[in-house]
Amino acid sequence: MLNQFLSARTLRNLSLISLTTLALSSCEKTESTPTQPYDDGVFVINAGNFFDNNGTLSLVSRDRKITATDIFLKENNRSIAGGITDYSEVDEKGVILVDNSTDGKDVIEIVNARTFKSIASLKGEIDNPRKVIKVGTNKAYITCWDTFNADYTYKQGFVAVLDLVLNKITKKIPVDSGAEDITVIGNLAYVGNIDARPTIKVIDTQKDEVKESIEIGANPNNFVLDAANKIWMTSANAIILFDPITKTFNTKLKASTNDKKTPSSLCMSKDKKTLFCTYNFFDSADGYKLKGEISAIDISTGTHKTFINRAFSSVGFDSESEIIYTSLIPSYKQSGYIFRYQTSGILIDSVKVEIAPSRFYFK
Amino acid sequence: MQNPANAALRRIKKLANKCLLNIPKILFLGYGFGISVGAFSQEISSPDCKDCKPLNEVQVFGFSPEKFMAGLKVQKIDSVNLARYQHQSLSDFLQFQVPIALKSYGSGQLTTISFRGTSASHTAVLWNGLNINSPTVGLSDLSTIPLMGFDQMAIQFGSSASCVGSDAVGGSILLNSVPNWNNKGINSVVGGQLGSFRSGNLNAGLRLSRTSKNGVLNGKTLFYGGNIRNFNGKTPANDEVRIDRKGHEYSIEPSKTTQKGFVQDLYFRFDTKKKSTYRLIYLNTWFTDNKLTIQPSVINFREITQTQAFRFIGGTQLDNTSVKLGFIRDILDYGKGDFSNPSQASTDRYIVRAEHDFVFHKNPANLTFRTGGEFVHYATKVDGYGPNIVYENRGDAYALIRKTFDWNNQTNKIITTLNLRQAFSNFYKAPFTPAFGFIFNLFTNKLQQLEFLANVARSYRLPTLNERYWKVLGNPDIQPENGFNKEIGLEYKKFHGKYFKSSLSVNAFHNLIDNWTYWNPEKNYRVENLQQVLTKGLEFNSSFKYNNFIQQKTAGLILAYSLTDASQQKVYDVYSQNLIGKQLIYVPYHAISGSIFYGQKSWNASVQGVFNSVRYFTFDHSGQPLPPYFIVNATLTHKIKFMSQAANLVLQANNITNTVYPNIKRNAMPGVNFQLAAVFNFHQ
Repeated sequence: MLNQFLSARTLRNLSLISLTTLALSSCEKTESTPTQPYDDGVFVINAGNFFDNNGTLSLVSRDRKITATDIFLKENNRSIAGGITDYSEVDEKGVILVDNSTDGKDVIEIVNARTFKSIASLKGEIDNPRKVIKVGTNKAYITCWDTFNADYTYKQGFVAVLDLVLNKITKKIPVDSGAEDITVIGNLAYVGNIDARPTIKVIDTQKDEVKESIEIGANPNNFVLDAANKIWMTSANAIILFDPITKTFNTKLKASTNDKKTPSSLCMSKDKKTLFCTYNFFDSADGYKLKGEISAIDISTGTHKTFINRAFSSVGFDSESEIIYTSLIPSYKQSGYIFRYQTSGILIDSVKVEIAPSRFYFK
Repeated sequence: MQNPANAALRRIKKLANKCLLNIPKILFLGYGFGISVGAFSQEISSPDCKDCKPLNEVQVFGFSPEKFMAGLKVQKIDSVNLARYQHQSLSDFLQFQVPIALKSYGSGQLTTISFRGTSASHTAVLWNGLNINSPTVGLSDLSTIPLMGFDQMAIQFGSSASCVGSDAVGGSILLNSVPNWNNKGINSVVGGQLGSFRSGNLNAGLRLSRTSKNGVLNGKTLFYGGNIRNFNGKTPANDEVRIDRKGHEYSIEPSKTTQKGFVQDLYFRFDTKKKSTYRLIYLNTWFTDNKLTIQPSVINFREITQTQAFRFIGGTQLDNTSVKLGFIRDILDYGKGDFSNPSQASTDRYIVRAEHDFVFHKNPANLTFRTGGEFVHYATKVDGYGPNIVYENRGDAYALIRKTFDWNNQTNKIITTLNLRQAFSNFYKAPFTPAFGFIFNLFTNKLQQLEFLANVARSYRLPTLNERYWKVLGNPDIQPENGFNKEIGLEYKKFHGKYFKSSLSVNAFHNLIDNWTYWNPEKNYRVENLQQVLTKGLEFNSSFKYNNFIQQKTAGLILAYSLTDASQQKVYDVYSQNLIGKQLIYVPYHAISGSIFYGQKSWNASVQGVFNSVRYFTFDHSGQPLPPYFIVNATLTHKIKFMSQAANLVLQANNITNTVYPNIKRNAMPGVNFQLAAVFNFHQ
């Protein structure tokens, strides 16, 4: 979740987006067809169902209940050949991480972020790509699990260096197994994992080398930055705050008193004062029903409250409209929904999207 | 529907450590059964070839369940066809025989069948009367069943659970091994096939018949083995795609399937000196091993599924009493990379079945009353169930009654069957399953016959072992599914002159299946009896055939169409409203299969085609459905003399229009490809 926010913010900081420029989705046949508004809106990453290989990206309009579905197919007359694990933008290029059910068939799709026309497809170069983030001009990092061992344990993970000028993977930097979330502060990239490794790997983005390994606790993941550039993350079923300067972590937050619940999908309000997360569990006492909530944590006091008493698969905060986006997956064989809430917790609307909405990219 | 337990297993393995929410990552028409009415019946069995003769034996040997399926549609597959395509698996063969929905994960990969809109687990696959569906997943992967393994086949539509037991909710596939008493001495057969993508098969075997003073020994021994690939070259390129006419591209998933097996059938019929008594002992053995490797060229990418079955039946038939002892071991291993550490599932079944037919001697044809019982002991060890062996016992008791009636001096004008079955278990209550079948001969004369068929049946499917025992996801309280099927049909047959005959049949069905199990994502894929499905539809079958014995010419046209409407009926959660009334996934509304053939003396040419309309793969029909497709195969066969013995050459061209169409994983199915087979018969 975090890296979308980061990327979005970085992009804004660089003032790269001008909302009024010609929307260019150049229709070859009929000039009168309105162009697709890929310059603005909220991208919903629909992971798809694993063996159906049907990940899609939807674009939801911020102010209206309009969704453009499967925009990649619309613009390229071919489907994404796999599930989608992440989407992010780097210097007007969109990078889509595609996880096919067959090993060796994963793809990095590179598109023009404004027209969504394909620029390049890197096929079979990396396996199990997880997250993508901008680390420099026309340069992105992609965390990868690689293929599994015969016993389904993770191999050593790596961070693939993507050159968006050459459209090539130029290097693979070995990191911990189960490499997952990644965040960038200055010239340093912090890489977490979901293979119970207790460490964060720090990569020098200039040299593309691991600079150090910092012990944190099992499964450091779900990174989000606060106003002081400290990293909030989940680790060992708790939410902790990591200071990259002092390399220490100090706050251990349990988002509620139920130890069975797992915090995930962290995001930060625009004013950087409130941290939101999903906090879900399957209730063995009640037929293993999925239960949970969206928690809101006041980061200055550490106090938490139930923001929305409903189980969602993810939560995201759109800083531009100051609206909270949540996603719901009824099953992996039917369309999911997103629900939009005001910061007061009032439900605005719900919008049907596609299969397994799992993350957002706010543009 | 993809078996959710397997899906869940794979997903869980791949995603084990992800956060909580992300875990879920044929060509004769059915002639009805048994004794047909009047002059017509003699005409029907006019065989197209010598090979067909064994077909008549089935009336004598074995306790054929079809006798008790009055009113149901059954299509027997003719033995010429079985022989012609003997190197194929059921999955490749079936799609051109009947308009039916097959769900394939790729060439040589997992392929399951859906009768009339039901799921694969609603299809009983019977080998010599025993259900050989995998007990863990409750279905058969047709790609792992080669035609080599059996001698006869029939496809039965509609609910016959009262007759054959659990799973026959949508239909059943009846595979039989039969002795060939006409065979004298030793016949040996050696065959081979070579095809595109470096695919090939070999088979060798013999049939023997020995007469001694005590009786006749008849047997069949067969070894077979082969490879199926779907790529050229040693290491396929990663970015290979096929592009359809609309410009959509589908990637090619390289795979290799190695199949091998062994069949041993032995029959001994005692010479009882009296025609009225019949004493037989028999043994049927079938070992089959199928190993599918996806991405075979790169060890790191490999995904391997090995399916093995060891099947034994020992039995005896003494006049009207039959006792059968069976043992079946099913092994399903799934692994990655070097296959050093696969997840394993092994299930043993010990089966005892006893049946007795009470025949009323005054007029034996008029009333047959069969009673029987079956007991099955399961012992299963599956990684997903935990470290211990899981045991379960299941039982069945049944009475099958067939009565025919005369009317206006016409014999057997009406045929009725009444079947009653009750399955037993310690763990759940199986529904009492009655069925009533009815055939009314509207008219019969020398040239034509019209029959009205009807069948009303309850059906059931017992829980699979996965549904009961899978750790956490399984549900010990799961209940059997039950169905209520009603169908009617008309069958018309006519002779046109000396050489031509035609047939036309229409069937309509309505099947409501309740307690349909669903691996519920809302409860982390725990399985529940949540759904109710209604399937209804129409089926048309027609044929027009020419057979000139004198000039040794045959020709024909066969066309079949099915309309299937299958949908979810019951709202079980707020989001299920989005799928109520919508066509079930992977079930095409329209399916057509057809073939046209011409033969003269030693040559025969045929073209087969199959059409499936659009298939959805999401419950709510969102996303891009699997597009409609039409594929055509062509076959040329030639009989030659080789070393003064008979040999058959078969040249097959598959997908001759080079149609691009996707499988379930949305990868491209193979384009045009060829196979050349030669089968040599030696008679001593």
